[in-house]
Amino acid sequence: MESEKIKFTFLSADGTRQQVVGAAGETVMEVAYANGIEGITAECGGSMSCGTCHVYLDETTFAQAEAPSENEVDMLDIVSSERRPTSRLSCQIKLSAALSGAEVTIPETQF
Amino acid sequence: MATQLDPAAIPVGCPMHAAGERFQPFEHDGMFEQLAEYRKDVPIFYAPQIDYWVVSRREDVISVLRDHERFSASVATQAVVPWPPELLQFLADNGFTNESVQVACDPPRHSRVRSHVQGFLNPKKLQSFEAEVRQLVQSYVEAMKGKDTVDLVDALTYELPAMTAFLLLGVKDIDPRRIKAWTELRVKLMHGFPTREEQMSAGDDLLDFWRFSCDLVEQRKQNPGDDYPSWLLASRGGDDEKLTENELKSLVFALLLAAHETTSNASANIILELLRRPDDWAALVADPSLIPNAVEEGFRFCSSVVSWRRVAKEDFELGGVSLPAGTKLLLSLASASRDESVHENGDVFDIRRKNARSHLAFGNGIHFCMGAPIARMQVRMMLEELTKAFPDMSLVNDDPVEIVGVLTFRGPSRLPVRLYA
Repeated sequence: MESEKIKFTFLSADGTRQQVVGAAGETVMEVAYANGIEGITAECGGSMSCGTCHVYLDETTFAQAEAPSENEVDMLDIVSSERRPTSRLSCQIKLSAALSGAEVTIPETQF
Repeated sequence: MATQLDPAAIPVGCPMHAAGERFQPFEHDGMFEQLAEYRKDVPIFYAPQIDYWVVSRREDVISVLRDHERFSASVATQAVVPWPPELLQFLADNGFTNESVQVACDPPRHSRVRSHVQGFLNPKKLQSFEAEVRQLVQSYVEAMKGKDTVDLVDALTYELPAMTAFLLLGVKDIDPRRIKAWTELRVKLMHGFPTREEQMSAGDDLLDFWRFSCDLVEQRKQNPGDDYPSWLLASRGGDDEKLTENELKSLVFALLLAAHETTSNASANIILELLRRPDDWAALVADPSLIPNAVEEGFRFCSSVVSWRRVAKEDFELGGVSLPAGTKLLLSLASASRDESVHENGDVFDIRRKNARSHLAFGNGIHFCMGAPIARMQVRMMLEELTKAFPDMSLVNDDPVEIVGVLTFRGPSRLPVRLYA
């Protein structure tokens, strides 16, 4: 299970699509970093302390993925780009089968 | 590799021993050059003067900051020179009940307190002060006009961040220099190397500063406003389980230091580096859109917070050595932000550097600086207004700048410039 590979896509604010592969258990933020995806700043390094790794999931994935914790929901209140119903902090989304084929949209700005 | 190192057993002649002997934790002159050497060969060494192990590489610094389970923040603001028992007794007898609430706390306490604080100290809320901060910066810059030379520390960087802190606190009609003087005293008592006399004579001022914070909270209880103490009071909702009143007062006391001390130093550090490179200054004058990245490069290259502290809760390995629980670590943010593994030619100041923002000036992990957005805003605005008002500004060359500081902070004491306006 640990080595299971999950394939999903980052959609940048400028329309660029990049398909990436990560291992189950890794976070979306970590995969973005590993693949040089721009626009996910994650200034605190994934500690849910800065609100700069904000992304939008597609509706299906949002519904399938594990629900955000109460702390994450609180942090989503303070993100800089518009908060939408499928907003998440990418440092809190762990790759699982639910993320397979997901479309992760990166907001225009994290500041 | 698994044997634990006893500092006393590091042989003379070993690079680690030599680094510890040479390193002067309170001396800022030449610090960056020394750290650049250590980053290559001595990623961690023992500094006997302070009984801390100094960590110089970015990867190691980040790994400690992110591992709050194994590395406690409890020593972050601990007095480097312990306060005399008489001073502690005097403070206790007079109702000085300040307690650790943020930087020197670990979860779950840290998480509980932070959840209240972040309702106010967050990027969105801080951005809402943009117009008022702009006005403040402009008024300081306006006051400099017509002068031939000014000391930028005295005329701008010293007071402005305190005035911004007052905006957050809803404080009016207080002399910022009063808060600055109190703050410098507190910084020296925590991170400096004060004499016993200096410590003993600090009691009254420390008490006054604490009472000022408490009074502020009491006033907001009577007349709440749209400010930080009022927000905390509302968020607490009278429930000690959520946040006690003493914690709240301690938070206000903390903000009265943290909200301006580092920004004063940071802005002066950055302006100094820019003026040392007239071409860079001219580039910002010609194209102000370069300013935000120049600010980040400034934070990276000459952070006002040069180091931060942690203590190990269990035995650990770092930088190739094994050390026991209880080991105190001085994480060199100054060195980590110049680490060539991430920042090519890290010791070069480059306002166009692509990854300038990946510095550690605001820390990393759960203690990431909550004031970062407003610190960035202020430095940016200072540069925007200064380059606009004084495009030909230059350093007064025959008036050398002295960088002063304590264990953790640094900045110029004066910054004399010619305005050519």
